[in-house]
Amino acid sequence: MTGKRIDLPQGTLDLLILRTVALEPQHGWAISERIHQISSKVLQVQQGSLYPALHRLERRGWIKSRWGASENNRRAKYYELTFSGRKQLEAEKTEWEKLTAAVAQVLESA
Amino acid sequence: MLEDLRLRVRSLFHRKAVENDLNDELRFHFEQQVEKLVQSGLPPAEARRQARLAIGTQDEIREEYRDSSGVRFLETLLQDIRFALRMMRKSPGFTAVAILTLALGIGANTAIFSVVDWLILRLPPVAKAEQITTLEAELLSGYYNNGFSYPAFEDIRRQSTAVFSDVAGAMDFQMDGLSIDGNNQPIWTSYVSGNFFQMMGLKPVLGSFIEPTPGKSVDDEPVLVLGYTFWKTHLGGDSRVIGKSVLINGHPVTIIGVAPKGFHGIASLMDVQGYLPLGMGIVTSDAKKDLVVDRKPPVLAIFARLKPRLTAKSVQPVLNVIAQRLSTQYPATDKCKSLFANPLDLFSPGTDPSTSGTLRLVSAVFLILAGLVLILACLNVASLLIARSSAREREMAVRAAVGAGRVRLIRQLLTESLLLALLGCAGGVVLGLLASRSLGSINLNTTIPFVLDFQFDWRVFADAFCVALFTAAVVGIAPALRATRRNLNNLLHERGRTATVARQRTRSALVVVQVGGSLMLLIVAGLFVRSLRNVEHANLGFDPSHVLNFTIDAHEAGYNEVQARDFFQNLLSCVHALPGIETASLAATTPMSYFSFGEELAIEGYQPPSNQQAPAAGYNAVSPGYFETMRIPILSGRGFLDSDSPTSPHVAVINKVMAERYWHGQNPIGRHFANTADPKNPIEVVGVTADSTTTDITSPSAPFVYLPLAQHLQNQTPVTLQLRTSLPLATANREVVDMIHSLSPAMPVSDVQTMIEAIDTLHGPMLFQIAAGLAASLGILGLALAIIGVYGVVSYGASQRTHEIGIRMALGAQRVQILKMIFGQGFFIVSGGTLLGVLAAAAIARLVGNFLVGVSPLDAITYLGAVFILTTVALLACYIPARRAMKVDPMVALRYE
Repeated sequence: MTGKRIDLPQGTLDLLILRTVALEPQHGWAISERIHQISSKVLQVQQGSLYPALHRLERRGWIKSRWGASENNRRAKYYELTFSGRKQLEAEKTEWEKLTAAVAQVLESA
Repeated sequence: MLEDLRLRVRSLFHRKAVENDLNDELRFHFEQQVEKLVQSGLPPAEARRQARLAIGTQDEIREEYRDSSGVRFLETLLQDIRFALRMMRKSPGFTAVAILTLALGIGANTAIFSVVDWLILRLPPVAKAEQITTLEAELLSGYYNNGFSYPAFEDIRRQSTAVFSDVAGAMDFQMDGLSIDGNNQPIWTSYVSGNFFQMMGLKPVLGSFIEPTPGKSVDDEPVLVLGYTFWKTHLGGDSRVIGKSVLINGHPVTIIGVAPKGFHGIASLMDVQGYLPLGMGIVTSDAKKDLVVDRKPPVLAIFARLKPRLTAKSVQPVLNVIAQRLSTQYPATDKCKSLFANPLDLFSPGTDPSTSGTLRLVSAVFLILAGLVLILACLNVASLLIARSSAREREMAVRAAVGAGRVRLIRQLLTESLLLALLGCAGGVVLGLLASRSLGSINLNTTIPFVLDFQFDWRVFADAFCVALFTAAVVGIAPALRATRRNLNNLLHERGRTATVARQRTRSALVVVQVGGSLMLLIVAGLFVRSLRNVEHANLGFDPSHVLNFTIDAHEAGYNEVQARDFFQNLLSCVHALPGIETASLAATTPMSYFSFGEELAIEGYQPPSNQQAPAAGYNAVSPGYFETMRIPILSGRGFLDSDSPTSPHVAVINKVMAERYWHGQNPIGRHFANTADPKNPIEVVGVTADSTTTDITSPSAPFVYLPLAQHLQNQTPVTLQLRTSLPLATANREVVDMIHSLSPAMPVSDVQTMIEAIDTLHGPMLFQIAAGLAASLGILGLALAIIGVYGVVSYGASQRTHEIGIRMALGAQRVQILKMIFGQGFFIVSGGTLLGVLAAAAIARLVGNFLVGVSPLDAITYLGAVFILTTVALLACYIPARRAMKVDPMVALRYE
């Protein structure tokens, strides 16, 4: 629990998870690590929000899970993007870009 | 969406597996985290500690996961159900009453609906039954006739192609002799036109159906299609009967198929056991030789299928034209005001529209009454639940205080009341099934295969269930809302005695309505029961006691008309010779039986009034001795003699109504009339009898004609031998049947019964018995519900006022005053309810007035009796809580709470 933590805005976590599993199937721990890495250790995803989010996305049919063996040969649950998940990711990315652009504009003009 | 459902279902049914999965997943995460920390140089123990801190509690995740996957919902539900069951166990009296009340209401409804459905609503199981109509001609006399001659059928079929996609004809139900492998048995058959099955759109269970024979004027392939029930019960459901050659009245036919299950023929309550092509009617019976050309005999019922998007009403103009055309072309035989197409759902027992109208009305009344019972039951449960709700307010408050959410409380109470409703419905199903079954096993006193097919009806059950559910839901939530809306603090310190006056009022009003409803049920039930007693002791105009009936079918035994006449002559003289026989006679039909005849008449010297009503009368063909056997007094002239033979002048004996109506007090003896279908054959009146009940117990005496059987033997219909004897049925049965068989070994004898049994038919007292039985049970139900209601509301009121009573007594009030105080409320409810009930009963009784025999719809005795019973019982129900109130010890009451 070192360094500053940014609380993720609502909905952002879903986008990040989808983005992370878009390349290849990942297990939960790897997803949280990836997000931590990619965001230059700014974003720390809590287990308490990661797993509910994963299950939520799975129920919406955007990702699907299966049990597999991890790198160190342990039983781990892997999540991968489904077809509709991919579409959702595209949509969310566009949304996000629009939103951030709009916010940036507002901030600059202020 | 689908994925979501799959996962939820999996969470519900594979809970263990799902939880294990989650645990595994979280453990893996934790171990990875530990490993990562160990690699960064922490000692394992420290790494574990840190990882645990970082991860936080895993329970939350599990909770959240369960919540989101719907497991939580189920857990709560199970918890609520467990709690609800506990609550029920704590107050078994309340629970039993509530459940029983609902069960009775729902059961009564479903049972009654199943009867009404059978009588009126259900359509036969044919393709698009709503398109099928049956044709009826309105005669000049104002009578309706649904029998047509074969040529008329052909004419109508040809001329109506614009509006009907197909028109089929079926001959009346008749009894034939069937001989399979040398075994003889009677079979009730219907002769149908070749397109009948095709038009009905039916599929045979086995084999094939009758089909039109091309190039023939009338279809006459020697084939037989069996009814499903007959095939199952008489032939053991053997599929090898297809292709078998059998004899019908001695003529060879081949069995080609079996009609589908549930199809009993059409437009009657009887089960047709065999179907033959129309033309076979000419072969198997000697009387229909000129069937194809004779326009007189109304032998066919006509069924027409409306073209799509047409209704029975919209085709009327076309039918008017056809009727007009037939009337002008064949004035002697086909004259009628108009033709009508009636949808099948208008069919009900008795082709007479007046009877079916009555039946419909009575059915409607019973449905209303049954609905009322259900509403009363719901009201009852409602007031019970409300009464309990105040007792539970404190409990609710406590639970709210320790942190139960509002939704949670409502859910729990809802679960409780829904559980009540569910159990009530389960009871209702059982009761409904039992009632339907017992109604279905009524003995109709005839060997005619009637279809008594009361199906337990799920539709109405669903309706009743919804009402009960709604009641339980609305009433169940109320206390939860109150409890959670109130300031908890107040409620926790509140004394139970400040029960709101408003709620007491609501409950009192509910119970007033209940008592009113119950009284109405009681009164209507009383009217029906009294009416039944009148019917049973009605002056029938003949004496049915000590008369035995034997139905004989010479036609089925293969006799022609001449042979039959000789046989009957012979039979009567032999029966007279038996010991213990007072008189014996023959008749074509018996009063109130399922066979009746009626004709339009032309009467010498009688001009029908300008409204075109041609005179008409019912008739029976009887042998000499009939009036003695039945003990119908002859007022003037003579009865029949052996000298009234086919060759002597045709004579008739008429009843008093007919003499008065058509001869206006002049002496009718020696005057003549004729059947309009046979105007060249005048019939002389030789005697006048007193009036007696003939076709239907509910219709007032109508003009009636007796004709000598020898001059009017219709060989296709069986004849009934009637004996007046003091011998018991079993003895006479053996002797008479033996004697008949000694005269003619193959002669079928059926319907051996006493006259009392014979008149107990759907046209006789039977419907009254069913109606009175139903009414009485509904009345008793209503009474029970009213007692529960009154007792509940009064005892609750008294318990609420314990404190007040204590103070009053401490201040010196006498016990009598307390008694008055408690009774006051009960008295108010009962008198309000009585007023309401009497008014409602008067309104309903008016509706069923013409179904009541010898009782005015405003019969004072019934009304006073019902009021007396109800008030006595209701006030008794008040007495118990009043006594309890008198026993209140002021000290205890004041210290109480």
